[in-house]
Amino acid sequence: MATDQDLVVETVRDILGSHEPFVLTADRRWDEGLWTALAEAGLTGVGLPEEAGGSGGELADAVAIVRTLAAGAAAVPVAEQLLVAGPALVAADLELPSPEQATTFAIADSVTVHPVDDGDGPGRFTLSGTVPDVPWAGAASSVVVLAPAPAGLEGSVLALVDVSSLPATDAFNLAGEPRGTLVLDQVGAIGALLTPAQADEVRARYALARAVQLAAALEQVLAWTVQYAGERHQFGRPLGKFQAIQMELAEMAGEVTAVTALTDAATQALDRAENVVLAAAAAKVRAGAAVEVVARLAHQVHGAIGFTQEHKLHHLTRRLWSWRDEAGSELVWSRVLASGLLADGPDGLWPALTRVG
Amino acid sequence: MSNSLTLAPAPRSEAAEQVRAEVREFLAAELAAGTFRTHVDTWLSGVDPEFSKKLGERGWLGMTWPKKYGGHERSAMERYAVTEELLAAGAPVAAHWIADRQSGPNLLTYGTEKQRQEILPRIVAGECYFVIGMSEPDSGSDLASIRTKATRNGDGDWVVNGAKVWTSNAHHSHYGIVLVRTSPSDSANRHAGMSQLLIDLSLPGITINPIRILDGGHHFNEVVFDDVVVPGDMLLGEEGNGWHQVTAELAFERSGPERFLSTYPLVAEFGRRVAETGDPAQLAVLGRLSARVLALRQMSLRIAAALDRGELPNIPAALVKDVGTTFEADVIEEIRKVVDVTPSLDSPDPLARALAEAQLHQPGFTLRGGTNEILRGIVARGLGLR
Repeated sequence: MATDQDLVVETVRDILGSHEPFVLTADRRWDEGLWTALAEAGLTGVGLPEEAGGSGGELADAVAIVRTLAAGAAAVPVAEQLLVAGPALVAADLELPSPEQATTFAIADSVTVHPVDDGDGPGRFTLSGTVPDVPWAGAASSVVVLAPAPAGLEGSVLALVDVSSLPATDAFNLAGEPRGTLVLDQVGAIGALLTPAQADEVRARYALARAVQLAAALEQVLAWTVQYAGERHQFGRPLGKFQAIQMELAEMAGEVTAVTALTDAATQALDRAENVVLAAAAAKVRAGAAVEVVARLAHQVHGAIGFTQEHKLHHLTRRLWSWRDEAGSELVWSRVLASGLLADGPDGLWPALTRVG
Repeated sequence: MSNSLTLAPAPRSEAAEQVRAEVREFLAAELAAGTFRTHVDTWLSGVDPEFSKKLGERGWLGMTWPKKYGGHERSAMERYAVTEELLAAGAPVAAHWIADRQSGPNLLTYGTEKQRQEILPRIVAGECYFVIGMSEPDSGSDLASIRTKATRNGDGDWVVNGAKVWTSNAHHSHYGIVLVRTSPSDSANRHAGMSQLLIDLSLPGITINPIRILDGGHHFNEVVFDDVVVPGDMLLGEEGNGWHQVTAELAFERSGPERFLSTYPLVAEFGRRVAETGDPAQLAVLGRLSARVLALRQMSLRIAAALDRGELPNIPAALVKDVGTTFEADVIEEIRKVVDVTPSLDSPDPLARALAEAQLHQPGFTLRGGTNEILRGIVARGLGLR
């Protein structure tokens, strides 16, 4: 029986399929045509409440969309919009920009925030400073930033900045996805003050969004590699019949299965709003760790052809190498995870593990 | 993933969380009373019949079995919570482990009514222990090559000759479920002609010889059968169906938390050290190891849920065991890279002791229950490659 989620995935696949697949054009950096098609189908507002201007639906639907697009190496800021920026705005009671306009997310640790008191009530700020590593800089029209609270206040400010007229420096991750720097000079923004715990949750959402993308790309890389091993003949038989290759594919499958199980669990934790930070941290760490094994063995099995631009493999392996270090590396999140698990003292590790998942 | 390795996520089980809390309370009291001391790999080395009987009294053995055999008709998820709490605490569970995990379910599936009524309630009470008689001196993971033979005599009894190895704790056990040839081997069908016999280990003609492992511990044995007469009604299941029965059994053997928690007591000890030092490098390693534990729990819980649905997920179980036992061994290397501790079984430092125990047990993790190479072959089949 087809569930609603299957239908959502099918719709995204149809759009991806009828669209010129990004995976065949290595130099395209932002897929505006694909974005427009997704937006017109209402898919860029899934999981965001209708009363806030979104398309409604569950977190699981949004995750399914992000997964499908990640596996298709689609160059659109859907993960940022559906899993990070949109939900963070909703949680902070801030107005959503139209979901048809691309909104991205960035951590702005070195930006200075000043409250503006112009008689229009609270929630108005000016922001100054540079924001590095902005995903889809130059493509998105708004960016939700998480910045330190104004002097004298605790926590962080979540602010929605219109960047449609702001220049961004050109910079790209290993996969060629835009990761530029924005310079803010007394830019006005609508925002809300978050407690440290709320700010941690926003960071965790960002990490989980990347983990979800990693999980989908890891699965797809495994599927491509299994398929290739079945088709490519060497020494008179398919690669997949060689025991040495079977061992490598099985090792990849183990990594992929572990990542999928943990990412699913973290998504459920987010849905239930329980242990979000630690569950997301674990998913990001585990997914990042799998990249080394899966990308290395995928290239090994594909042989030299997989090392070329003409083959599709690099569209996902380069994303794997990029995404594992974005939104906080394994080093960052492994420390967050360990500190959190030890929060109840030296004997609290096991109870904490079973609580997180 | 569109292959046979994926299982649905496990539903949350309030009942499992409740029994988990009870086990935790029990373990804390036992530790405080000094009835056991935490060790690594206790499902192989922690033989303590008194402790097993206590678990039986608490209703934590044979948990999923029918009440008419003394079982408790609880879910695989509840059983999972109990077993992982025991392992994480490094409690002495080796005496009953095989009987509870594997032999009991095996009897439930294939045993005669008489066999079940006679044996299962004793397992549930923590008073009856089993060994697995699969491997032989010349057959490791290549089980189809076994040579131990059983032939019918004039009375309809079985006469068994041969030898089994790696029989964990045979010297403490009451029965073995032994894979034997009941027809000559057939090179056209290597899996035919095998059967399982339920053998009372006190029968005349059985010799149990210790095989010591690297730390000097005696857990493994060679069990030699010299014209052992086994009553005819002790055939388990169907004559000639041994290969199929053994294969089905392996889902129980390969998927449990013992396949990734053997060295958890070392991780716990390391966690205590990290809590003390706050060292950033140690924190990072603890975080990485914890993420792997969490992923393995999710994978293993999915299998427990599948068992509750009545499935026998052999291929995912092989995969969990491969990933899990690799982790059990990696734990040692990851930890020793960030602590300056010399492993020693005699050290006053519990971390040094746990490291020593784990190191000396490590080679077994990726061998027992099927080598990782064999398991990866099974996973490759799941990927459609064979």
